[in-house]
Amino acid sequence: MADPADTRTRLLTAALHCFEVEGLRATSLEDVARAAGMSRATVYRHFPGGREQLVADTITWEVGRFLARLGHALVGERDLFGQLSVGLWWGHQAIGEHRLLQRILATEPEEFIVGFADADALLQGEVHGHLRALLETTELRSGVDRDEAADYLTRMFLSHLASHGRWDLSDRAEVERLVRTQFLAGVL
Amino acid sequence: MDTAAATLDADLVDHRADGRRRGGAERATVRARVLDATVRCVARWGVAKTTLDDVARQAGCSRATVYRVVPGGKAALLEAAAEAELATLLERIAEAFDRSATLEDLLAGGLSTAAEALRSHEALTYLLRHEPATVLSGVAFDALDPLLETAAGFAAPWLEVYLPPEQAAEVAEWLTRLVVLYSLDLDGSGPDLADPAEAARFVRTYVMPGLEASRSPKRTTDPTITTAPQE
Repeated sequence: MADPADTRTRLLTAALHCFEVEGLRATSLEDVARAAGMSRATVYRHFPGGREQLVADTITWEVGRFLARLGHALVGERDLFGQLSVGLWWGHQAIGEHRLLQRILATEPEEFIVGFADADALLQGEVHGHLRALLETTELRSGVDRDEAADYLTRMFLSHLASHGRWDLSDRAEVERLVRTQFLAGVL
Repeated sequence: MDTAAATLDADLVDHRADGRRRGGAERATVRARVLDATVRCVARWGVAKTTLDDVARQAGCSRATVYRVVPGGKAALLEAAAEAELATLLERIAEAFDRSATLEDLLAGGLSTAAEALRSHEALTYLLRHEPATVLSGVAFDALDPLLETAAGFAAPWLEVYLPPEQAAEVAEWLTRLVVLYSLDLDGSGPDLADPAEAARFVRTYVMPGLEASRSPKRTTDPTITTAPQE
């Protein structure tokens, strides 16, 4: 019998493929079963919540992979400044290069946001946990609360990753200026 | 709610008598009433369930009138209503800006006014609770960029009293992000920026040092950045 983790990975990979071809709304569990070469029953066993769960779980899985790559990109950055700067710079690039994400944001933004809720919670939790641990070993300005600062930095980091606004985040010097002023000046 | 609706209908009757005299002004006023009715309907039933009939009934006019003043059906109506709500919010922020005497005041006043207005906005609160995607898809990823630009353009005249244009635009965007980041989640974590004292503390803690930091490397060459109004 196949390893359930393998089966799940195959299904999620197939789901991503279907989203590429059909988009979020038009992908059915049958499509995913066919693309993965598995039965409908297997798909339902892994995603008892149906299409909605399939979309949410696939997005969460993809965000998990993004976080793993982000963690890898941050190896060697010891301090808060380095972690935030490289994280923003690398993350911005990775998001921009994610063609499926860009296309879905352009064509099915509401559908995506509905499916993104779990992934968003994962992102916030992981980024917050990471920053909170870093802050523990960082000397802060007097009067700055560690929990509030971690919360502030998490929101700012994710906001800029999602919408860069007027900042050119592909430019390392720009990113560092942003982090030095708007992120860290009040914290460090 | 019914009292409010009755008042609105009574107003509308007055207004109709008025409109016959003033002609052209009527259309704009009826449009405003239709948009206001749309917001009231959304506050009660959400986006998915609100129909043009509901809006017409709430506005005390016919469906045909709704179509006439806001052509394009429900989607156009919702978009126009959201635009009108944003304009109202910006007016309130402008009033707060006008009352401020220092840059810190200006930032804290804008932040707390916006946070309070969003928190007490019934339609917005309903949507965040029951149909969050309708709101969040408008501020997530690239969709936030137009809002950041609008806000930066709006706040520029006030901020440029204290800051050079480039930095004023950056700060306006920063402030807008803070409003979005802290006002559009209902989990209640984070500081309560609707409280003026908390907003002032937040600005002093995170924003003012950031402004200091952006001017310090240029201090000798760029004396135009001040924290007091320039005469």
